Order: sequence, then structure tokens, then C-alpha cells
Amino acid sequence: MSDGLNYSFLVKTFFTALSGVPTALMITIVALFIALPLGFMLALTRINRIPVLHRFAQVYVSFVRGTPVIVQIFIIYSSVPLVLTSFFKKFHIETNVYDINPIWYAFIVFSLNTTAILIEVFRSAISTVSKGQLEAAYSVGLTNVQAFRRIIIPQTLVVALPNICTATVNLIKATSLGYAMSLQEITLRAKVAANVGYNYVEAYIDIFLVYLILCSLVEYLFKIYEKRLRKYKAANA
Amino acid sequence: MLEIKNIHKSFGKNEILKGVDLRIDKGDVVVILGPSGSGKTTLLRCINFLEKADQGHAIFGAADVNLKTASKKQIHDIRQKVAFVFQNYNLFNNKTALENVTEGLIIGRRVPKAEAIEIGKKALDKVGLSEKYHSYPIELSGGQQQRVGIARAVALNPDIILFDEPTSALDPELVGEVLTVMKNIAKEGTTMLVVTHEMSFAKDVANRVVFMDGGVIVEEGSPKEIFTNPKEERTQQFLRRVLPEDYIFYI
Repeated sequence: MSDGLNYSFLVKTFFTALSGVPTALMITIVALFIALPLGFMLALTRINRIPVLHRFAQVYVSFVRGTPVIVQIFIIYSSVPLVLTSFFKKFHIETNVYDINPIWYAFIVFSLNTTAILIEVFRSAISTVSKGQLEAAYSVGLTNVQAFRRIIIPQTLVVALPNICTATVNLIKATSLGYAMSLQEITLRAKVAANVGYNYVEAYIDIFLVYLILCSLVEYLFKIYEKRLRKYKAANA
Repeated sequence: MLEIKNIHKSFGKNEILKGVDLRIDKGDVVVILGPSGSGKTTLLRCINFLEKADQGHAIFGAADVNLKTASKKQIHDIRQKVAFVFQNYNLFNNKTALENVTEGLIIGRRVPKAEAIEIGKKALDKVGLSEKYHSYPIELSGGQQQRVGIARAVALNPDIILFDEPTSALDPELVGEVLTVMKNIAKEGTTMLVVTHEMSFAKDVANRVVFMDGGVIVEEGSPKEIFTNPKEERTQQFLRRVLPEDYIFYI
């Protein structure tokens, strides 16, 4: 059965695995789209000790940080349909809950997860920007929104970017756990292909390669962006 | 032009300002002296609403603002008229010198970009930094950064500029260049309220000197009065400590 690797299968399955990349990317992008602003704002509530909200943020982070992602997936995947079913019944919506594409649950889980991570990323990044920057912004007449958009956030971003890169790459990798929800992403597709002829080794190599290439690409993009932002920190006249 | 009445400020249990009244007229260059902890910096920061006073009024021209209950709009209006120069410069690190100076104009006051750049360049020329329009703060020395900070305040054309120990964070060699700039803008008639330990500035440039201690104004007068004829014991004690030993004053 095993005379070395089945190279034609290796190549074919590589492209099968690749077909799951759009799903992984879509989940990543949606999660980041929600988590970046939400994480930033909740980080601010922690720094400024806004009553109620800062405690909520603190507890929220502990919950997400303290539980495995796969368990978070199990919980969302089993509880949200129940909630939706009663919701649909109440408002007489005809949709069958079990027809909902699991990607929607993936959006929920990974947005919640990434938000928690980013709260901590931004909390430490914002604290590196000295308070005087904000005071100077106020004294030249900038509003809060203007001060943050033009002065604070750019400086926060430079510091936060390496950690945001880590969070993004981790997010991409974590989407592989979506197979537990039968989510048609990289891991599941390749595994299914492997089931046919029991070519698991080849499939796993392919999955491994796809993630590696994808994550390396993302890292590279972050590196370029970071270089651009750092211009003012080590400027050459 | 600006009158501060009965300002009180506590931080927790510490009462820092215990009822301060101060009046500043147009063209005044007022220097506030005093030991550390006397409330000088807090007074300045309360005027600019960087701290919120517990009690007190600021009468600015026709407007009487309650410092504790001031609305966002009132605060915004006052900040348009009052500029601040910080001890630690607080230049926007991610902006060039010129961008630092024009930021308040373009974004805060909606001045058209071209006009703001003209004003900005003139302000930077005035403080002697014509070569450094496009330098980032990290490329500038402390003295240069502070001069950009002063240009930033001047460009806003405020009614009064507050200086919070502008030279305290500078190396001694760089203090001179900043004091020269301040002297120049004082000569042009800018109204200035300066907290400083630089006695030479107080003696040569100020037209009024205020001595604060323990959260109150102990004595105020012209530089001559304060430096040669201090009336209060506390003033004399302070001056004896900070002035050269052979300085003679008449009691």
C-alpha cells in the first residue's frame, strides 16, 4: 500500500486544500473587522476605568483567554442554534436553523475570541503613548475624536502591529478547528479528500504547506506595513 | 483680560490650590515663582482645563466661566484663546515640526491648508527653526523641540500663552536659546503667564512677579518690588534659597 508518497495525490490535494483558503480568509477578515474597533474601544474602557464596562471587559478577556478555542466552538455551535430556534419561532421566521451555513457560527466565535485578544494588545499598546500627547492635542484645540484619529491611534498602531500580526496568524490557524463544525475550510477539505484513498500523510503535508504559505504571506504584509508606520520613530533626515 | 477668582483644587485628600485670585491684563508677562508643591503648575493646568478645578471662576473678556461646571463648548472656546507650552514639550511624535505647528490650525480651527502652512513656517522662522520644517521630533534636540512647542502655541495666535516650566527639562546649554525666544515674543506684546525657576527671565522680561506657596498667592508685584523689597517672610526665605548668596535685598 505504501511505496512512498503518492505524488500525484499530493499535488492534487494541495489544490483541494487551497480551495479552503477563501473561507479561512473570509472568517479572518470578518473577525478582524469586528474585533479591531471593538477591542480598541474596550481597551480604552479599561485604561480610563469606565464604570461597569471596564469590569465587563476584564471578565470577558478572562473567559476567552481561559478556555480552549475548540471548546468555545462547541459551545457556540450547540447553544446558538437553540437560541435561534426559539427566536425564529417567536417571530414566525420560516428558516430552518440547521440549514444555516456554519460559517456564520465561525464569524461569531472568532470575532468574540479575537476581540478578547485585541483588548489586551491595545491595552498595552495605548499605555506606551504618553498622556502628554493627548494633553497637547487638547490644548491645540483638537476634539477627542480628532486627537485619537490623528495622534493617538497612529502611535498606538506602530506598537500594536507585531501583536496584531500574531493575533491574525493565530486566527488563520484557529479556523482549522472549524472542521468540528463541518466548516468547509482548508483542513476539512483536504481530510475529506484523504479519506477516499487513505492518503492521510500526503493530505496533512498539503494542509501544513497551505497554512505555512498563507501565514508567511500575512506576516510579510504586516512587515511592510510596520516599516511604513515606523518612519517617524527612527527617521533619517 | 483674564481674571481667575477663588480657584480651589484638591487631588484626593491633598488640597493643592486653596483659593487663588489672579488677574492678567493684555500684554502682561507674569512670572509665577514658588517652591515645588505650591500649586503653580496646577493653577496653569486648571486655566486650560487639563485639570478640572473643584471651585472657581475664570472671567475671560465678557464670558464668566464656572471652572467646575464648564460645558464642553465653553472649554473648547477657552482653549482657542489659551495656548500651552509644556515642560516636556509634548510634540506630536508622529508629525514633523511643521505638521506639529499646523495641526491645531488645520484640524482644530479649519484653517485652509495652504494658509496654515504659511503661518506655520513663519512661526518656525520666528523661533529660529527654518531648517527643520520637515524634521520629526526624534531628530530634534530638547531645545529645538521646545522651540517647536512655542512655535506651535504662537501659530494659534492666542490671547494668552501659558508656559509650564518650559526650560526645566532642558540641558543648561539649551536653556538660553529657549529663553531668548520667549523674550522675543514677550517684546512683541504677547500676553504670557510663565511658571519658571529661571530668575533671569523673571527679572529681565516679566512686568509682574507672583510668589506662590502652599496653594495661595503670598505676594505679587513688579520684579523690582519682589526681588529687592520682598515684604513677606516666606517670600524672603524662598528668594534667599534660590538667589545667589550675596544678593542684597532691602527689608
